[in-house]
Amino acid sequence: MARILIIDDSPVIRSLLTDFLSDLGHDVESRDNGLDGIKRAKEIDFDLCICDTHLPRANGFDVVNDLAHSRPDIKLIFTDSLPDQLSEKIQQIGDYPCLRKPFELSQLKKVLNSMLKGIETR
Amino acid sequence: MNFLAKLIKSRLRNRFILPISALLVASTFVISGYLLQRQSEGFRRELETSGETMIRMLAINAESGVLFESEYVLDELLQVLTPFESVECALVSNADGLILSSTDKNEPPIILHSDGHLHVDNNDIHKEYIINEEGEELLMLTTSVVTRKGTISRESLGITGQVPTDELDKQQTEVIGHITICLSLEYVNQAISEGRLAVIILALFVLVVGIIIIAIIVNAVTKPITELVEVTDQVRQGDFSRKAGMDRTDELGHLARTFNLMIDSLQQSRDEIEKYNRTLEEKIIQRTEQLEDAQAQLVQSEKLSAIGQLAAGVAHELNNPLGGILGYAQFTIEKLRKNNPKKTTSKEINSYLKYVGDIEAQARRCKTIVQNLLKFSRSSRSVDFEDVDLNKVIKETITFVEHQLKINQIEIECTFTENLETVQGNYGQLQQVFTNLIINAMHASESGQTIRVQSRFSPPVGEFSGAVEILFIDEGHGVAPENMKKIFEPFFTTKEIGKGTGLGLSVSYGIIRDHGGEIQISSELGQGTTFTIVLPVQKNSPTADKQKIISEST
Repeated sequence: MARILIIDDSPVIRSLLTDFLSDLGHDVESRDNGLDGIKRAKEIDFDLCICDTHLPRANGFDVVNDLAHSRPDIKLIFTDSLPDQLSEKIQQIGDYPCLRKPFELSQLKKVLNSMLKGIETR
Repeated sequence: MNFLAKLIKSRLRNRFILPISALLVASTFVISGYLLQRQSEGFRRELETSGETMIRMLAINAESGVLFESEYVLDELLQVLTPFESVECALVSNADGLILSSTDKNEPPIILHSDGHLHVDNNDIHKEYIINEEGEELLMLTTSVVTRKGTISRESLGITGQVPTDELDKQQTEVIGHITICLSLEYVNQAISEGRLAVIILALFVLVVGIIIIAIIVNAVTKPITELVEVTDQVRQGDFSRKAGMDRTDELGHLARTFNLMIDSLQQSRDEIEKYNRTLEEKIIQRTEQLEDAQAQLVQSEKLSAIGQLAAGVAHELNNPLGGILGYAQFTIEKLRKNNPKKTTSKEINSYLKYVGDIEAQARRCKTIVQNLLKFSRSSRSVDFEDVDLNKVIKETITFVEHQLKINQIEIECTFTENLETVQGNYGQLQQVFTNLIINAMHASESGQTIRVQSRFSPPVGEFSGAVEILFIDEGHGVAPENMKKIFEPFFTTKEIGKGTGLGLSVSYGIIRDHGGEIQISSELGQGTTFTIVLPVQKNSPTADKQKIISEST
């Protein structure tokens, strides 16, 4: 049981991840742009954030740049459609797992499990 | 004078011959004149000398005749003069001026002197040139006839010491008469005339011979120079075949040889230049072909780049719905596997329906995107023109780029005039232009800014059948005034090296021109840029015009 924040501008991805992760028993919230995402992450003590690379208002890099300092304990998973300069910049900040869209749910589950190991035992 | 100066200056030969001839003529005249003068003086002096001798002899012998005033004796004396043809007349007079004897008996005596009386001192001879009534020039000589007085001693005169002899003679003699002779100058003048003729003939001979010699000498100098000038003229006209004569060993020969060497090296240089020119022309043609090839390749690569940009946009657009489809499908399958059909609640069924509905909706979205892409791909290959609804083209173009705009945090705002007139155009090409303009606007904009796309109709005026205008307005950094003119030039880019081909606007310009339209730009630094595309509406769309457009675009 973990608190998860989803930041993605695609309604269908937000909907899918909310449905899927809720079904797994997690407490899920979502935002459709980077700025709102950062704001929400500072309000609530989330365990994990699944964030898209290309976002309106503040992109994935802005999100990680902010949260890495303001919320260093939050774990981050990125998603993207095509590898580009922004993905590279994010990887320069930290070795965050990245899921390439369209990703398999099994793949997400695997990454999620490895990242939430500590949280499950907490 | 001007004419003479021109004549002298016109030719080198004239510069030599005319002044030298003039000098020769002048010196010949001066020398001849001098010679004639001297000759004339000589003849006269000779006449005077012989006249003086003659009159002195007469004076001595006339003493007794005059003393006694004996005409007979004096006539006899004057008879002596008869053989001398030059003696025109002679007369003897006594001290009072009375003529005692004359060679001219019948004619009245010539006037000897203006006052009719002449006194000539002892031993003196008076000479005078006169002209008689017949107009002949005569030399008139007069001297005195003297006789001795009584003997006078030195003592009676009171003279002591030495006294000059002629002083004594003067004291001892007395003038008793005069003798006058007139000598004709006819013979002298005749001799002078003959001499003058000879001098003139000689002078003319010297002149003619002199001029001929000068002409020959000058010719010898100027002929090779003239020849050299002719050769120079031919060389100037590009004829290198003729050479200057080299059979001389003097300075001119040296000049000719040097000149020939110069012609040779000139010809060699010209041949080399011609050869170089030919090579250069060939190289230019070759390079032009290469450049044209390169340009064609770049235009093609720009097309590919436009397609590439679209592909990236399409990938972004497709991956989200695909992710939805894949995820919901897997989720649904997993849920259904675990589900016990007998215990399925209506809530669960509703969830499944939502999942499957999402799958369907996303699949449709994918279908639309792929169809648009196919349409673009197909039409960008074809050059066919068809009736195109520009609002629709813009809308579909935006579906490819909106994700990129969104992730760059740039808003796009469309204001379309509904029921817009269709234009004749190529769907794919127009989409390429619109994509290019929106991507350019996006690159010029900063996050938070808005790109406005507007469509409107310009109603027909006179022969103008109306047009559709599409405006792309950004709030970006604008175009510098110095770049405004260059912005449609091929390879012009303000982007970093490797970021842009510099062909986007150039290709867009070409496409719009092929459509019979135009692209206008207005921009203000720091305020933004507006690109306006004007495409003419061709209601009747004549086939000929259509064909023309197609042939231009191929």
